[in-house]
Amino acid sequence: MTLGRRQLIGYALATPMALALGPAQAADRQTIEREMVTTWYRLVLELVRHTATQSPPVASRAFAYIGIAAHEALTTGNVSLVSLAGQVNGLPPAPARETGAHDEACVLHAALAASAQVLFANTGPSGQRALTKMDEKLGAKAMEGIDAAVVERSIAHGRALAAHVLAWAEADGGAVITNMGFPRSYTPGTDPEDWVPTSLIRQQQAPLLPDWGGNRTFAMPTGNTCALAPPPAYSEDPASEFFKAAKEVYDIGISLTADQTLSARFWSDDPMLSSTPPGHWIAIAIELAERDVMPADRVAAMMAVLGIGMADAFIGCWATKYEFNLVRPVTVIKRLIDPKWEPLLITPPFPEYPSGHSTVSGAAAMVLTAFLGEDFAFDDPTHEPDDLPIRSFASFWEAAEDAALSRLYGGIHYRFSSVQGLAQGRCIGAYAAALKVFA
Amino acid sequence: MIRPIALVLSLASPALADPAIPTFTDETATADLSTVYEGEWEYMAGGGVATFDCSGDGFPEIFLSGGAGPSALYRNRSPQSGALAFEKTEAITLDAVLGAYPLDIDSDGTMDLVVLRQGENRLMRGLGDCRFEAANEAWGFDGGDAWSTAFAAIWEKGQDWPTLAIGNYIDRREEAFPWGSCTDNWLHRPDGKRFAAQIPLSPSYCALSMLFTDWNRTGHPSLRVSNDREYYKGGQEQLWHLEPGQPPRLFTEKDDGWKRLRIWGMGIASADVNLDGYPDYFLTSMADNKLQVLKDIAAGKPDYADIAFKSGVTAHKPYTGDDPSPSTAWHAQFADVNNDGIADLFVAKGNVDQMPDFAAKDPNNLLLGVGDGTFIEAGDKAGVASVAVARGAQVVDLNLDGKLDLVVQNRWTGPEVWRQTGEAGAWAELRLQQDGANRDAIGAVIEIKRGEAVERHEITSGGGHGSGSVGWLHFGLGAADRAEVRVIWPDGAEGDWMDLPAGTFQILRPDAPPEAWTPR
Repeated sequence: MTLGRRQLIGYALATPMALALGPAQAADRQTIEREMVTTWYRLVLELVRHTATQSPPVASRAFAYIGIAAHEALTTGNVSLVSLAGQVNGLPPAPARETGAHDEACVLHAALAASAQVLFANTGPSGQRALTKMDEKLGAKAMEGIDAAVVERSIAHGRALAAHVLAWAEADGGAVITNMGFPRSYTPGTDPEDWVPTSLIRQQQAPLLPDWGGNRTFAMPTGNTCALAPPPAYSEDPASEFFKAAKEVYDIGISLTADQTLSARFWSDDPMLSSTPPGHWIAIAIELAERDVMPADRVAAMMAVLGIGMADAFIGCWATKYEFNLVRPVTVIKRLIDPKWEPLLITPPFPEYPSGHSTVSGAAAMVLTAFLGEDFAFDDPTHEPDDLPIRSFASFWEAAEDAALSRLYGGIHYRFSSVQGLAQGRCIGAYAAALKVFA
Repeated sequence: MIRPIALVLSLASPALADPAIPTFTDETATADLSTVYEGEWEYMAGGGVATFDCSGDGFPEIFLSGGAGPSALYRNRSPQSGALAFEKTEAITLDAVLGAYPLDIDSDGTMDLVVLRQGENRLMRGLGDCRFEAANEAWGFDGGDAWSTAFAAIWEKGQDWPTLAIGNYIDRREEAFPWGSCTDNWLHRPDGKRFAAQIPLSPSYCALSMLFTDWNRTGHPSLRVSNDREYYKGGQEQLWHLEPGQPPRLFTEKDDGWKRLRIWGMGIASADVNLDGYPDYFLTSMADNKLQVLKDIAAGKPDYADIAFKSGVTAHKPYTGDDPSPSTAWHAQFADVNNDGIADLFVAKGNVDQMPDFAAKDPNNLLLGVGDGTFIEAGDKAGVASVAVARGAQVVDLNLDGKLDLVVQNRWTGPEVWRQTGEAGAWAELRLQQDGANRDAIGAVIEIKRGEAVERHEITSGGGHGSGSVGWLHFGLGAADRAEVRVIWPDGAEGDWMDLPAGTFQILRPDAPPEAWTPR
């Protein structure tokens, strides 16, 4: 039997502490610590889906800071862990713990709860209610059986750590999002290669977050560190590389195989209909953490570095997107090939080159491979609740390549954008993967 | 038959000049409507308004949902063409009410009321003179125990008892993790002159509006369901086949050409906006709203184009104030508020509850049809651009002067009511009545000639957001001195075309001449 997310969370919230009071108390305590991380992340994935500002770049930022808060909270009490202070751009050293014993589950719970409450302050009434209830129920579970003074000290430290990380986050350029990230006005370019709006949604007549590429990065030096070569020159000549790329999108779109269609939908991860592409990779990591019963410190470190890699990927990708401002396939195909053609997927409201899914997937594969190894086979049940079947992969890179090509199948990216996006993600992810988190 | 040109020109035909701006006067302070839609999370949706005549004087009464507080029925004490005045009754004071729809369930000529609730839904049997009694038990109706947010009704072919569809929302016990907890919608079909055990309409995706509609003019209405994507997993908008004697069956992409759409579906309004003879659907949501028209009528598939953008009805953000944040739309209703013979559109707006990503001061929309398929915003100029937190509403002629008025239920602050007080074009108001079952002819179609075109009005029970009406059906006529109309009755019988004088109330019955009616 496979437990769904709702059941897993219910189990995490309901398991009585009495189970943890036997001889295996330490091991059970580790289980509770891991559940603090994975259960909060499960909620965060839902909050991403249900908070309108959480477009993929914004969500990647939230994942990075939440992961960093969890990891840093543990580093202050565990000499085998290495702080990210001094390694990621601008993060000061973490506040020290008070003298006396701390409980790591309580520290983690407090750090994660406080981070989520700030990063998802814009969520709606159901999200707010869920945050409150999760805080109450998961907090009670973390605190049960623990000395009151230890609880107080641990909760205070977790909150202080969250405040420390969130204060650092304030100045990164991505803290304030208005109108869901869409500028109030926008004048599209007039050259044929320029991106133009493709949506019938009024809000999306301006492109999403045009300045995101200028945000402070985490592990890589700047948003332009992994810059890409220009895309093929726009051309309406059927013999040109650009035209052939557009024609390939069209040809694939009108002859999609069942698996190509499934791949496109599996990785579609549309904002406000899913936890977004970075959320999809977070979901994979959580699934593996639970499957392989990883210790909490390892989970927190992995989530921090994964979040960092993906957040940097969006900054780098967005810098490139707005450097080249390339027109989407649907515009070109309707203009030159078939005015009635429609892509399988919803074309996102921002420039085409490179594919954001590809960049973030490349970065995620780089990080997860560094943590869990090459040829790490896994099943991905992320979209089972949405009635999409489990997809199995032989490695993280196989999954990333599937994600990248899915955008070609979906009719929203040229092949060269997927290929170059993966390369960019690999470059960006390498900076995250090089971070030292264990002594 | 070739009609004389002069006659054709005298019938209502769309004008293409800028639409006349109606004038509304806020009479909230004097109309004595006081029921507030109260409550917290469990009442973030709902807030419905029902209008219907239960006193027998032809003037519509108003029922207001009270949410966590008591609901109330208000008798209409307005003089004809005069200031709006209501008297609160003790007739229906249920709590936990989210919405209500009038429906003469037992076809006894006295209006009943379907009340949607947190907990058990209630059927209230009308006893006359605005008295009601609980009728769940007598009618075999299982009110269930859910968070009920949507309703639609139809008389299926051959039945003398209605079929009710009830839409349900989140499992309210899932307070820490409500997403993916949508509970089953229900179909209550007849078993003689009572209801059979309800049938789950599974899968269900947190319905906030439902409407039986004959979208393809087959004579067998289907059930359109608008769902809130905030809470479903794997969901989408839905359309159900409902064929007599057959279990309900979803239209699918593979078998029926249904096209997946995922929105924060909150309300359905329907009208023949483009005069192609088929119903078009306005779907409320957050940010952009949708206006759907059939892409290819001949194909016979439920494949709709969204023309909200080019029609000017996205209504995606506030048009007053300086808040750039997107809007939140709930009840929507097509109606000809300026009597120019062109459908207009009212949309109730209001933040869910302190959602900072969406506008806090979100004015209701009054979008006036221009006649070329586009609409222009006139809520502020007309005086109805309230920024209270609106939910349900009705656009209805409350004082029977031929001009539509407006009542809106707001969350936490109570209702607002506006009387239309300016000049407006000509009008006619009609009621359909038939003997036997389905007295108010739910499922009928009124056709009215608009110049060379014929505009079709489906008579429905459902849609909107928790809000419904049975009563006079209002038609603007512009400068015309009469309306040329006919009725296609629910059994498919086509009535004769009739010339009805402007400025009159007419009761239409099958195989009978129109009967003029005068307010007293």
